[in-house]
Amino acid sequence: MKQDNVIEVKNVKKKFKVFYDKGTSLKEKLLFQKRNHYEERWVLKGINLEIKKGEAVGLIGKNGCGKSTTLKLISRIMYPTEGTIEVKGRVSSLLELGAGFHPDMSGRENIYTNASIFGLTRKEINDRLDDIIAFSELEEFIDNPVRTYSSGMYMRLAFSVAINVDADILLIDEILAVGDVSFQTKCFEKLKSIKASGTTIVIVSHSPGQIEQICDRAIWIEDGLIKENGIPKFVGEHYLVAMEEKRLDKIEQEFQEQQSNSEKQEQPFTERQMPAFCIDQATRHGNKKAIITDCRVTDSAGKKCKVFKNGQPLIVEVSIKSQIPDLEVDLAVSISRDDGLYCYGHTIYREKNYLINLNQQCNIKFTITDLILLTGKYFINLGVYSSESEEYDVIWSVTDFQVMSPQDGEVGIFRIPHQWSY
Amino acid sequence: MKLLKELYAYREMIISLVRKDLRGRYKGSVLGFLWTFINPLLQLMVYTIVFSVILRAGIDKFYLFLFVALVPWIFFSSAVTGGATSILSQQDMVKKIYFPRQVLPISYVTSSFVNMLLCFLVIFGVLIVTGYGINFVALLYLPIVMIVEYILAMGIGLLSAALTVYFRDLEYILGIVTMAWMYLTPIMYSVDMVPEKFVPIFNLNPMTPIIVVYRDILYYKTIPQISTLLHAFVLGLIVLLLGSIVFSKLQRNFVEEL
Repeated sequence: MKQDNVIEVKNVKKKFKVFYDKGTSLKEKLLFQKRNHYEERWVLKGINLEIKKGEAVGLIGKNGCGKSTTLKLISRIMYPTEGTIEVKGRVSSLLELGAGFHPDMSGRENIYTNASIFGLTRKEINDRLDDIIAFSELEEFIDNPVRTYSSGMYMRLAFSVAINVDADILLIDEILAVGDVSFQTKCFEKLKSIKASGTTIVIVSHSPGQIEQICDRAIWIEDGLIKENGIPKFVGEHYLVAMEEKRLDKIEQEFQEQQSNSEKQEQPFTERQMPAFCIDQATRHGNKKAIITDCRVTDSAGKKCKVFKNGQPLIVEVSIKSQIPDLEVDLAVSISRDDGLYCYGHTIYREKNYLINLNQQCNIKFTITDLILLTGKYFINLGVYSSESEEYDVIWSVTDFQVMSPQDGEVGIFRIPHQWSY
Repeated sequence: MKLLKELYAYREMIISLVRKDLRGRYKGSVLGFLWTFINPLLQLMVYTIVFSVILRAGIDKFYLFLFVALVPWIFFSSAVTGGATSILSQQDMVKKIYFPRQVLPISYVTSSFVNMLLCFLVIFGVLIVTGYGINFVALLYLPIVMIVEYILAMGIGLLSAALTVYFRDLEYILGIVTMAWMYLTPIMYSVDMVPEKFVPIFNLNPMTPIIVVYRDILYYKTIPQISTLLHAFVLGLIVLLLGSIVFSKLQRNFVEEL
């Protein structure tokens, strides 16, 4: 092991046996030998990791990619099939909060039980007792039986014990959703101070945001291999983009399938049924004298896109058609945030005094040259009207897109152009 | 060696699990912890009535003869059957947190052991109150035989705990095995009653010398033979060694098997 490393994972592979229907008793083992067939699945296919003392590392990846398994191997809950793992120092794992809590015993007694599971001696627990109680904010209730606690109080107590163990290495698995908002903030602050005091932290999460806040390094695990290892911001971004691409691919696939299906059977156009270019949340109304036949959100190169960086161009392409010859329509495009906040909207007629003549299928482009929205999820809304505001076809939440804002600390809806003088 | 050091570091966990087990055992009942004493006392009364009034065994004070052997046996059999489920019953903890897995069977066996010690208070009380008397020199050997039995029970407890994870039927099989084992151990009868040709087989049973020593000390009020004690100690040590080796090997895959 190298001098300043505290965790060294060398070429670790882990195989699980996945039983189709596992028999654990004698009868089942003898009678149903067929059932004991299992599939071998390699969850980790060769992970190499070195973590230095005092480092905070985040593992990200989608469900089942092997990130939690890696954490379990580091904490020695499981052992690798191949390869070696070396860990230096006391490990405290926040994988399961409140292990060994006895409902009939008081909060104080449970602190002793729970802390002892982390390998603390009685003297060490006594030294930390005040800190633990103070951190949990449960002073008045500490001598009541734990069964009288609310679930929030329960988690607070459990978290306080785990975080006050003073481990050399702290392993955390998706548990920063403890208690109310103020307690969560407190946990975050505590984690930062623990990190500052030289404790090594390894966090598993599928939310890159959390990891960016605490970690110096992010590791993206996919299919049992390390895909990327580097600065949390970049790794997180790449991860999000890849996830989004994967999702879009899937949507595209489903769309294609749907189309080939709909070719076979002519589907009646009803109010309820949403065309394939719409997302599930979309709602539609209007008298259908003119209809929207497609909507694409693309980047400047014309590539269909879901994730945009603040400052990039965003183009909304809308296709409209009508059965009525020479119908002239107005098109409205607007953007709202996923919490329902209306961000911006305008119509082509009111802005340019132009009406679209629908002699044939018509494609309109709405180009946002500089996307100034801040990080978040947004929806596009479309409306086709007559010049007298008769509603032909209005679709709310046609499609969605994500914005990633490169600057930290910005709050609000969009960036108002500004300057600082000092 | 490393394991012993680690177990020492986790001593507080063992202590708190033992405490939790002892206190939790009669939790919610009116008499609470008193049951620890009432239970053996009532048992003793039943034996007294049955064996001195109905079923006369031809052994003087048969209820005492039986009871000084039965209390250690109950400790041993509960260590075997309860030890078997010690890992399974705490599987949520085993799956989520690291600690030396040996802690669970160790604390189970230890809490059964403490329970036996408390029962011995009842035995002493009865021996004094009935005027049967105690040989205090012989009594010095009592802690030794208790420790020997503790070592043996620990070995079997580790063994059954680890094996039961892989083979759940063991839990029920062990119930039958301990019952048969009880009749193959001189608890209801004295070792002299065993036919000559079966004696070597009886001596392989690690519980035989232990029960003999308990009875020497408390019933016959004599100093036990050192050879018998040594015999028990060696057998216990072998079982403990075997148990901990098997446990260490098998515990690596506990999480996947649970």
